[in-house]
Amino acid sequence: MMWGVIRSRTCSLSSLVQQWKRTFTINAVNQNNILELQEIEKILTDVKADDVKVIPVPKHCDWADFMVLATGRSTWHAKQKQKGAQRMLLPSVQGQAGGKWIVVDSGKVIVHALDEKARAYYNLEGLWTPETLQKDPIDEDLEKAMVKVRRINNSKKKPAQKNA
Amino acid sequence: MIQPQTHLNVADNSGARELMCIRIIGASNRRYAYIGDIVVAVIKEAVPNTPLERSEVIRAVIVRTCKELKRSNGIIIHYNDNAAVIIDQEGNPKGTRIFGAIARELRQLNFTKIVSLAPEVL
Repeated sequence: MMWGVIRSRTCSLSSLVQQWKRTFTINAVNQNNILELQEIEKILTDVKADDVKVIPVPKHCDWADFMVLATGRSTWHAKQKQKGAQRMLLPSVQGQAGGKWIVVDSGKVIVHALDEKARAYYNLEGLWTPETLQKDPIDEDLEKAMVKVRRINNSKKKPAQKNA
Repeated sequence: MIQPQTHLNVADNSGARELMCIRIIGASNRRYAYIGDIVVAVIKEAVPNTPLERSEVIRAVIVRTCKELKRSNGIIIHYNDNAAVIIDQEGNPKGTRIFGAIARELRQLNFTKIVSLAPEVL
Protein backbone atom coordinates (compact mmCIF):
# COMPACT_ATOMS: atom_id res chain seq x y z
CA MET A 1 0.00 0.00 0.00
CA MET A 2 2.69 2.44 1.09
CA TRP A 3 4.89 1.18 -1.66
CA GLY A 4 2.28 1.96 -4.25
CA VAL A 5 1.88 5.46 -2.92
CA ILE A 6 5.58 6.13 -3.10
CA ARG A 7 5.78 4.64 -6.57
CA SER A 8 3.04 6.86 -7.87
CA ARG A 9 4.69 9.83 -6.26
CA THR A 10 7.98 9.08 -7.96
CA CYS A 11 6.14 8.72 -11.25
CA SER A 12 4.52 12.12 -10.95
CA LEU A 13 7.85 13.54 -9.83
CA SER A 14 9.65 12.12 -12.81
CA SER A 15 7.36 14.01 -15.14
CA LEU A 16 8.01 17.14 -13.13
CA VAL A 17 11.71 16.52 -13.26
CA GLN A 18 11.55 16.16 -16.99
CA GLN A 19 9.97 19.57 -17.14
CA TRP A 20 12.82 20.79 -15.06
CA LYS A 21 15.35 19.33 -17.42
CA ARG A 22 14.27 21.87 -19.97
CA THR A 23 14.82 24.77 -17.62
CA PHE A 24 18.13 23.53 -16.23
CA THR A 25 18.02 25.43 -12.97
CA ILE A 26 18.82 23.87 -9.66
CA ASN A 27 16.40 26.02 -7.69
CA ALA A 28 13.51 24.81 -9.75
CA VAL A 29 14.54 21.25 -8.98
CA ASN A 30 14.32 21.69 -5.31
CA GLN A 31 10.84 23.09 -5.63
CA ASN A 32 9.64 20.30 -7.85
CA ASN A 33 11.27 17.53 -5.97
CA ILE A 34 10.64 18.87 -2.51
CA LEU A 35 8.67 15.91 -1.18
CA GLU A 36 10.91 13.06 -2.05
CA LEU A 37 14.24 14.68 -1.32
CA GLN A 38 13.07 16.28 1.89
CA GLU A 39 11.71 13.03 3.18
CA ILE A 40 15.01 11.35 2.59
CA GLU A 41 16.99 14.15 4.14
CA LYS A 42 14.71 14.16 7.13
CA ILE A 43 15.23 10.50 7.73
CA LEU A 44 18.96 10.85 7.30
CA THR A 45 19.04 13.59 9.91
CA ASP A 46 16.81 11.50 12.14
CA VAL A 47 19.42 8.77 12.27
CA LYS A 48 22.19 11.39 12.55
CA ALA A 49 24.02 10.65 9.36
CA ASP A 50 27.13 12.73 8.78
CA ASP A 51 28.05 14.70 5.73
CA VAL A 52 24.86 14.36 3.72
CA LYS A 53 25.30 15.45 0.13
CA VAL A 54 22.74 15.71 -2.64
CA ILE A 55 24.11 15.62 -6.15
CA PRO A 56 21.90 16.14 -9.18
CA VAL A 57 23.22 13.91 -11.94
CA PRO A 58 20.99 14.31 -14.99
CA LYS A 59 23.81 14.74 -17.49
CA HIS A 60 25.98 12.01 -16.15
CA CYS A 61 23.43 9.24 -16.17
CA ASP A 62 19.90 9.23 -17.46
CA TRP A 63 18.70 6.46 -15.18
CA ALA A 64 18.64 8.64 -12.06
CA ASP A 65 18.32 12.30 -11.20
CA PHE A 66 19.74 12.59 -7.72
CA MET A 67 22.40 10.86 -5.74
CA VAL A 68 22.22 11.32 -2.00
CA LEU A 69 25.39 10.45 -0.13
CA ALA A 70 25.67 9.91 3.59
CA THR A 71 28.32 8.63 5.96
CA GLY A 72 27.74 6.47 8.98
CA ARG A 73 30.08 6.52 11.94
CA SER A 74 30.35 2.74 11.90
CA THR A 75 28.99 -0.17 9.94
CA TRP A 76 26.39 -0.54 12.63
CA HIS A 77 25.40 3.07 12.19
CA ALA A 78 25.15 2.68 8.45
CA LYS A 79 22.85 -0.26 9.03
CA GLN A 80 20.63 1.91 11.19
CA LYS A 81 20.16 4.21 8.26
CA GLN A 82 19.01 1.33 6.22
CA LYS A 83 16.46 0.57 8.94
CA GLY A 84 15.26 4.13 8.57
CA ALA A 85 14.86 3.46 4.91
CA GLN A 86 12.82 0.39 5.66
CA ARG A 87 10.49 2.55 7.67
CA MET A 88 9.81 4.36 4.45
CA LEU A 89 9.30 1.04 2.64
CA LEU A 90 11.43 1.95 -0.30
CA PRO A 91 11.56 -0.41 -3.24
CA SER A 92 15.02 -1.86 -3.14
CA VAL A 93 17.75 -1.94 -0.53
CA GLN A 94 21.10 -3.55 -1.21
CA GLY A 95 24.12 -4.41 0.87
CA GLN A 96 22.41 -4.55 4.24
CA ALA A 97 24.36 -7.58 5.41
CA GLY A 98 27.79 -6.00 5.11
CA GLY A 99 26.94 -2.50 6.13
CA LYS A 100 29.89 -0.91 4.35
CA TRP A 101 27.89 0.42 1.47
CA ILE A 102 24.11 0.39 1.48
CA VAL A 103 22.21 1.54 -1.56
CA VAL A 104 18.56 2.49 -1.43
CA ASP A 105 17.23 2.61 -4.93
CA SER A 106 13.95 4.49 -5.16
CA GLY A 107 13.56 5.15 -8.83
CA LYS A 108 14.91 8.57 -9.66
CA VAL A 109 16.60 9.17 -6.33
CA ILE A 110 19.36 6.89 -5.13
CA VAL A 111 20.62 7.01 -1.56
CA HIS A 112 24.08 5.75 -0.76
CA ALA A 113 24.96 5.16 2.86
CA LEU A 114 28.62 4.35 3.30
CA ASP A 115 31.00 3.98 6.20
CA GLU A 116 33.91 6.39 6.23
CA LYS A 117 36.52 4.10 4.73
CA ALA A 118 34.26 2.98 1.94
CA ARG A 119 33.40 6.57 1.16
CA ALA A 120 37.02 7.50 0.80
CA TYR A 121 37.74 4.35 -1.18
CA TYR A 122 35.02 4.69 -3.77
CA ASN A 123 35.12 8.50 -3.91
CA LEU A 124 31.65 8.79 -5.36
CA GLU A 125 31.62 12.58 -5.16
CA GLY A 126 34.72 12.68 -7.30
CA LEU A 127 33.03 10.49 -9.85
CA TRP A 128 29.86 12.51 -10.19
CA THR A 129 30.73 16.12 -9.53
CA PRO A 130 33.58 16.92 -11.92
CA GLU A 131 32.12 14.96 -14.77
CA THR A 132 28.83 16.75 -14.60
CA LEU A 133 30.67 20.03 -14.87
CA GLN A 134 32.84 18.89 -17.73
CA LYS A 135 31.53 19.32 -21.22
CA ASP A 136 31.35 16.35 -23.50
CA PRO A 137 33.95 16.48 -26.28
CA ILE A 138 31.23 15.63 -28.78
CA ASP A 139 29.16 18.59 -27.62
CA GLU A 140 32.11 20.91 -28.02
CA ASP A 141 32.74 19.64 -31.51
CA LEU A 142 29.12 20.24 -32.35
CA GLU A 143 29.29 23.77 -31.01
CA LYS A 144 32.31 24.44 -33.17
CA ALA A 145 30.54 23.04 -36.18
CA MET A 146 27.59 25.33 -35.66
CA VAL A 147 29.65 28.51 -35.43
CA LYS A 148 30.38 30.08 -38.77
CA VAL A 149 34.04 30.87 -39.15
CA ARG A 150 35.09 33.20 -41.90
CA ARG A 151 38.41 32.48 -43.48
CA ILE A 152 41.00 35.19 -43.16
CA ASN A 153 41.36 37.05 -46.38
CA ASN A 154 45.07 37.19 -47.19
CA SER A 155 44.72 38.42 -50.75
CA LYS A 156 45.33 42.03 -49.83
CA LYS A 157 48.18 41.30 -47.45
CA LYS A 158 50.35 39.47 -49.92
CA PRO A 159 51.68 42.43 -51.88
CA ALA A 160 52.58 44.13 -48.62
CA GLN A 161 54.67 41.12 -47.61
CA LYS A 162 56.38 41.17 -50.99
CA ASN A 163 57.35 44.77 -50.55
CA ALA A 164 58.78 44.04 -47.14
CA MET B 1 26.82 -17.46 -22.88
CA ILE B 2 29.58 -17.81 -20.34
CA GLN B 3 30.49 -21.31 -19.29
CA PRO B 4 33.40 -22.78 -17.33
CA GLN B 5 36.70 -22.23 -19.16
CA THR B 6 35.45 -19.02 -20.82
CA HIS B 7 37.95 -16.18 -20.63
CA LEU B 8 36.56 -12.80 -19.63
CA ASN B 9 37.92 -9.28 -19.74
CA VAL B 10 37.79 -7.22 -16.55
CA ALA B 11 35.73 -4.03 -16.78
CA ASP B 12 37.03 -2.31 -13.62
CA ASN B 13 40.20 -0.94 -12.09
CA SER B 14 40.64 -3.72 -9.53
CA GLY B 15 43.95 -4.78 -11.04
CA ALA B 16 42.97 -8.04 -12.72
CA ARG B 17 43.13 -8.12 -16.48
CA GLU B 18 41.74 -11.43 -17.51
CA LEU B 19 39.52 -13.97 -15.78
CA MET B 20 38.52 -17.51 -16.52
CA CYS B 21 35.09 -18.67 -15.43
CA ILE B 22 35.23 -21.87 -13.41
CA ARG B 23 31.71 -22.12 -12.03
CA ILE B 24 28.33 -20.47 -12.46
CA ILE B 25 26.44 -19.70 -9.29
CA GLY B 26 22.75 -20.52 -9.28
CA ALA B 27 21.44 -23.98 -9.89
CA SER B 28 23.49 -27.13 -9.46
CA ASN B 29 23.84 -27.97 -13.10
CA ARG B 30 23.61 -24.66 -14.80
CA ARG B 31 25.21 -24.39 -18.21
CA TYR B 32 25.51 -20.76 -19.19
CA ALA B 33 25.74 -17.41 -17.48
CA TYR B 34 24.39 -14.22 -19.04
CA ILE B 35 24.50 -10.52 -18.14
CA GLY B 36 23.87 -10.04 -14.44
CA ASP B 37 24.84 -13.54 -13.35
CA ILE B 38 27.52 -14.21 -10.76
CA VAL B 39 30.33 -16.58 -11.65
CA VAL B 40 33.29 -17.93 -9.76
CA ALA B 41 36.41 -17.14 -11.73
CA VAL B 42 40.14 -17.43 -11.50
CA ILE B 43 42.46 -14.56 -12.34
CA LYS B 44 44.55 -15.46 -15.35
CA GLU B 45 46.39 -12.21 -15.74
CA ALA B 46 46.84 -9.30 -13.35
CA VAL B 47 48.53 -5.91 -13.33
CA PRO B 48 51.74 -6.11 -11.28
CA ASN B 49 51.79 -4.60 -7.77
CA THR B 50 48.05 -4.73 -7.19
CA PRO B 51 46.19 -6.50 -4.38
CA LEU B 52 44.85 -9.12 -6.76
CA GLU B 53 47.20 -11.77 -8.06
CA ARG B 54 47.26 -14.38 -10.74
CA SER B 55 45.56 -17.68 -9.90
CA GLU B 56 43.38 -16.13 -7.21
CA VAL B 57 39.76 -17.32 -7.07
CA ILE B 58 37.18 -14.54 -6.96
CA ARG B 59 33.55 -13.83 -7.71
CA ALA B 60 32.52 -11.67 -10.62
CA VAL B 61 29.35 -10.28 -12.18
CA ILE B 62 29.04 -10.51 -15.93
CA VAL B 63 28.38 -7.09 -17.43
CA ARG B 64 28.93 -7.59 -21.16
CA THR B 65 28.45 -10.59 -23.38
CA CYS B 66 28.94 -11.27 -27.05
CA LYS B 67 25.69 -13.21 -26.92
CA GLU B 68 22.89 -10.77 -27.56
CA LEU B 69 20.59 -9.59 -24.79
CA LYS B 70 16.96 -9.20 -25.79
CA ARG B 71 14.57 -6.76 -24.19
CA SER B 72 10.83 -7.05 -24.25
CA ASN B 73 10.55 -3.89 -26.38
CA GLY B 74 12.58 -5.44 -29.18
CA ILE B 75 15.95 -3.89 -28.46
CA ILE B 76 18.86 -6.28 -28.85
CA ILE B 77 22.22 -5.49 -27.28
CA HIS B 78 25.40 -7.36 -27.92
CA TYR B 79 28.91 -6.28 -27.13
CA ASN B 80 32.22 -7.07 -28.74
CA ASP B 81 33.64 -8.74 -25.68
CA ASN B 82 32.76 -10.77 -22.65
CA ALA B 83 33.50 -8.70 -19.57
CA ALA B 84 32.95 -9.02 -15.84
CA VAL B 85 33.31 -6.88 -12.69
CA ILE B 86 34.97 -8.38 -9.63
CA ILE B 87 32.88 -8.33 -6.45
CA ASP B 88 33.29 -9.66 -2.93
CA GLN B 89 30.92 -11.92 -1.04
CA GLU B 90 28.73 -9.00 -0.01
CA GLY B 91 28.37 -7.71 -3.55
CA ASN B 92 30.61 -4.67 -3.18
CA PRO B 93 32.76 -4.07 -6.24
CA LYS B 94 36.48 -4.57 -5.70
CA GLY B 95 37.47 -1.77 -8.03
CA THR B 96 36.37 1.83 -7.64
CA ARG B 97 35.66 2.66 -11.28
CA ILE B 98 34.05 0.74 -14.08
CA PHE B 99 34.91 1.00 -17.75
CA GLY B 100 32.69 0.75 -20.76
CA ALA B 101 28.97 0.64 -21.28
CA ILE B 102 26.75 -1.41 -19.01
CA ALA B 103 23.23 -2.72 -19.50
CA ARG B 104 20.30 -1.34 -17.53
CA GLU B 105 19.27 -4.86 -16.51
CA LEU B 106 21.95 -4.90 -13.82
CA ARG B 107 19.95 -2.42 -11.80
CA GLN B 108 16.93 -4.67 -11.70
CA LEU B 109 19.18 -7.53 -10.67
CA ASN B 110 20.28 -5.56 -7.59
CA PHE B 111 23.69 -4.41 -8.78
CA THR B 112 22.94 -0.71 -8.32
CA LYS B 113 26.42 -0.18 -6.94
CA ILE B 114 27.97 -1.29 -10.19
CA VAL B 115 25.50 0.75 -12.21
CA SER B 116 26.19 3.88 -10.17
CA LEU B 117 29.91 3.56 -10.82
CA ALA B 118 29.53 2.98 -14.54
CA PRO B 119 30.23 5.76 -17.03
CA GLU B 120 27.46 4.80 -19.40
CA VAL B 121 24.24 2.85 -18.95
CA LEU B 122 22.56 1.42 -22.01
